[in-house]
Amino acid sequence: MGGLQKKKYERGSATNYITRNKARKKLQLSLADFRRLCILKGIYPHEPKHKKKVNKGSTAPRTFYLLKDIRFLLHEPIVRKFREYKVFVRKLRKAYGKAEWTAVERLRDNKPGYKLDHIIKERYPTFIDALRDIDDALSMCFLFSTFARTGKCHVQTITLCRRLTVEWMNYVVTSRSLRKVFISIKGIYYQAEVLGQLITWLVPYQFAHDHPTDVDYRVMATFTEMYTTLFGFINFRLYQTLNLVYPPKVTQHEKLNRWVSCSLQKLSALSASLARVVATAEEEEENQLDQFPADGEDLENMEAREKEQKEQEAQNRLFEGLKFFLNREVPRESLAFILRCFGAEVSWDKSLCIGGTYNVTDETITHQIVDRPDIDKQYINRYYIQPQWVFDSVNAKMRLPVEDYFLGVTLPPHLSPFVEEKDGDYVPPEKLKLMALQRGEKHEEEEDDDDDDDDEEYNDEVDDEDLTEEKNLKKMEDQRSQGKTLAVKVTPGKVKPWETGSVGNKVRLEKEEKAEEKRLAIMMMKKKEKYLYDKIMFGKKRTTREVSEHLRKIHSGSSFLLLLVL
Amino acid sequence: MAAVKRLKRVAAAQPGFMSFKSSAGSDDLNSGQRKRVNKNKKKNWNKHSDIQDVEEFLDDVRLQERATGGLISEKPDDSLFFVDIGEQRKYVQPEVQEGKKGKKSKSRPLRIDLILQHDSLVPPPKDILAHQQPNAKKLRRIAENAEKLAAMGVLPRRQKRLLNRRPAVTASKSKTAANNFPDRPYYDLWGGDAKETADPYYLEQTGKKRVKRPEKLNSKPSVLPAVEVIAPGGSYNPDFFSHQALLLEAHEVEVKRERAELRIERQLAVNREDTATEETVFQELVEGLVEEEEDEDEEEEDVSIRGGLQQEKKTEKERRRERADKIKSQQKQAARVFTDKKQQLFQLRSIQATLKRGEQQTRERVAQRKANQEAEKSMPRRLGRLRFQAQDLEVQLSDEIPGSLRTLKPEGSVLKDRFKSMQKRNMIEPRERAKFKRRHKVKYVEKRAFREIT
Repeated sequence: MGGLQKKKYERGSATNYITRNKARKKLQLSLADFRRLCILKGIYPHEPKHKKKVNKGSTAPRTFYLLKDIRFLLHEPIVRKFREYKVFVRKLRKAYGKAEWTAVERLRDNKPGYKLDHIIKERYPTFIDALRDIDDALSMCFLFSTFARTGKCHVQTITLCRRLTVEWMNYVVTSRSLRKVFISIKGIYYQAEVLGQLITWLVPYQFAHDHPTDVDYRVMATFTEMYTTLFGFINFRLYQTLNLVYPPKVTQHEKLNRWVSCSLQKLSALSASLARVVATAEEEEENQLDQFPADGEDLENMEAREKEQKEQEAQNRLFEGLKFFLNREVPRESLAFILRCFGAEVSWDKSLCIGGTYNVTDETITHQIVDRPDIDKQYINRYYIQPQWVFDSVNAKMRLPVEDYFLGVTLPPHLSPFVEEKDGDYVPPEKLKLMALQRGEKHEEEEDDDDDDDDEEYNDEVDDEDLTEEKNLKKMEDQRSQGKTLAVKVTPGKVKPWETGSVGNKVRLEKEEKAEEKRLAIMMMKKKEKYLYDKIMFGKKRTTREVSEHLRKIHSGSSFLLLLVL
Repeated sequence: MAAVKRLKRVAAAQPGFMSFKSSAGSDDLNSGQRKRVNKNKKKNWNKHSDIQDVEEFLDDVRLQERATGGLISEKPDDSLFFVDIGEQRKYVQPEVQEGKKGKKSKSRPLRIDLILQHDSLVPPPKDILAHQQPNAKKLRRIAENAEKLAAMGVLPRRQKRLLNRRPAVTASKSKTAANNFPDRPYYDLWGGDAKETADPYYLEQTGKKRVKRPEKLNSKPSVLPAVEVIAPGGSYNPDFFSHQALLLEAHEVEVKRERAELRIERQLAVNREDTATEETVFQELVEGLVEEEEDEDEEEEDVSIRGGLQQEKKTEKERRRERADKIKSQQKQAARVFTDKKQQLFQLRSIQATLKRGEQQTRERVAQRKANQEAEKSMPRRLGRLRFQAQDLEVQLSDEIPGSLRTLKPEGSVLKDRFKSMQKRNMIEPRERAKFKRRHKVKYVEKRAFREIT
């Protein structure tokens, strides 16, 4: 027996983890400081796989951190600043207690502070990494900017959050990156596409605040501290990509200059365009780039991409040329943001906020957004619509017919754009109508014929298509299993007269071709693959059956449905 | 020596002087008989003449000259005395008086200044050393040379260095160094050039190099997205079926909660039939006291005793038999194994079937385990003492759904939602508010007044 016996809990996972209190003592920080440091540096507790091993035999629930992470924390220069701050607080308290006011002033002037720039650089070494993580930062900053300015959290933080959010909104407006909007009972969800990244964030409503008591405000404040720093740097970089001046300035507008000169207020009005660094480049100028196919891409993909790009640009100009006026009871900021994102001109009553460029009485207003049951004075050449029209149009990527959104009309339901329905899932009838409209619009753009019948037929076909396919496949399978040859043979093709002008036929032909190809592919499958395919189709059939039952319920009890929705 | 003696005697002759050897009367001078001294001799003019009075007078004069600027007897009356007439009435002639006062105040100096002026006739002595400088000429020459050179532009080295020093950058102090003041400037964090100031080995050895961040920290703690969009039933104007689906989810959560509560109640439930009735109580009391059961017990005992006694002796026969039995059973077993192996050849198909089944089961279990692991990744992990409590689904009942955006009442708090989302993504551990625990129990004592009343 020597000293080289292997003892328990001396190697392996037991030595890789450290409890929270031990880590705190190793760093010589108080618990609040330790938590703040972990949040700032992005170090999270870990749950070990075998808790009993790590906890040296006991199963008491404890918080564990990786030892390597804590050792990494020891090199952090902010730790020193925390300790200095602790000493500062102690000295300040003593000076207060002894009523030495000169000492208090002197200490206050030399209050220790720390900067988080190097931490941000370390956590997000490239700009794209930071952009991926901006969802959280955005939601936090928007949330904090809606807080009331009592002393509960620093008013400076709230002001900084407000400034950053306004800058972000101005950037999205200038770059026209907004894609989806969803009004929920919790708040408003937006989705934008910035530099190829899809960014979703949630904005709470301005009204209705009850501060819940079980939320740890110190933790949220620390997160916000880190996120505001990150957000500011991202804003700077984004503004740089668009060649805009940062901190942002509004272009000289005569009407705006008459009012308050506070730049933040001017920016938050969201009605003016931003000043650029290089004043010569115009927004509308777009050079036609030469089309070179990338390596490994054929012409088709490139064309598809081109088509997508053109669609995107068309979508960006959704409300271009329209003039809107927002009534007082309507959420001004949200609507102004969305409308300006798509190229419209917006204005509002002067008493609401600065930045309203034209009045109610302006004759050139095309749409007025009202949320009241009715309005007394009506102008003839403008539409009076409810705000849901804007949101639904944005989600549908086209200008919906205004008739459904007039004052006093029961609105169609506001569908969520974040739901992606797979084949055979339940698609609400409103969405079907929407898709029909979208396709209908496209057809009308290409040809001037009335294809309503075809569209309606197509709607019905969507549900029945899968069922007919099932039937055909089953027939073929039966024939195959019986050993007979299939009836499909290669016969000389019949020339069908090409009926120009009827687009429905073309569509139907395309669909038939696709169905043929699908059938051929199914016949070519091996038995194993066929077995799997049958299983999948069975599941799909089941869902379609349920869906059709739902539809039947709708059609039978439509009046009942209306009552419930209201 | 004679001079010293003379001095001592003169000093001792001064009035009030106390010599060391103070006898009751000094021997020489004041004891009874005086020594006769010839005052006509020059030698004795200095020694034995008393000029005290003259000295006194002269001292007085000198004092007057020094202190009060001349003999007091020669001063005019006005400077020494004034006639006290009494208080004068103040006339209301503000302008004239002010004018006069103004003049007086400007022309006449203050009385206190006059008093404090030194007005002695004795001028302060000249300090010759103050005007003497040993190397004045040399210094003057050096200064002139330096002036000439400065006029030409040549400056001494020290001045040159002083002028070349950069002005100290007064750090605009810490009120702006705080992290979150509203006008905080930002710069291009990712575009700036990397500061490779010195040799990397040097930086590492001197501890100035930044430590590399461990790779594991770059991965996110959870696969869940940062912002989870609410189900389509949560729209402010939802369509019927999605709203019903959301209501169903909320309903299920409530049902689960209720069932959990009921389970506890069920576990505590007691069967009514198990409660003690009078009969059962009586039975228990009476057990063991009835005589009928005794015979049966005795018989059982006998049998066990007999069996035990017989087993003690084992004869040779028994042992031989045991050995033979053992060998036989072993042989039998070997034969059985052999036949089993032979028969397995015909059981191949069923063996294969069982193997397949076993494999399929293991595969299923593996798939299930993998699915479980994937599901766990999206679950919040247990990071501390408390478990994660999911927040209630934000749902508005059918009669709460607003008709318009104006009448919408928001549901749920985004702050709480963000907080819970961070807990769900394993970024912070769930914690509860610290309770206020008292170290010592609070003692309640009645006031004496109350004690007397009650």
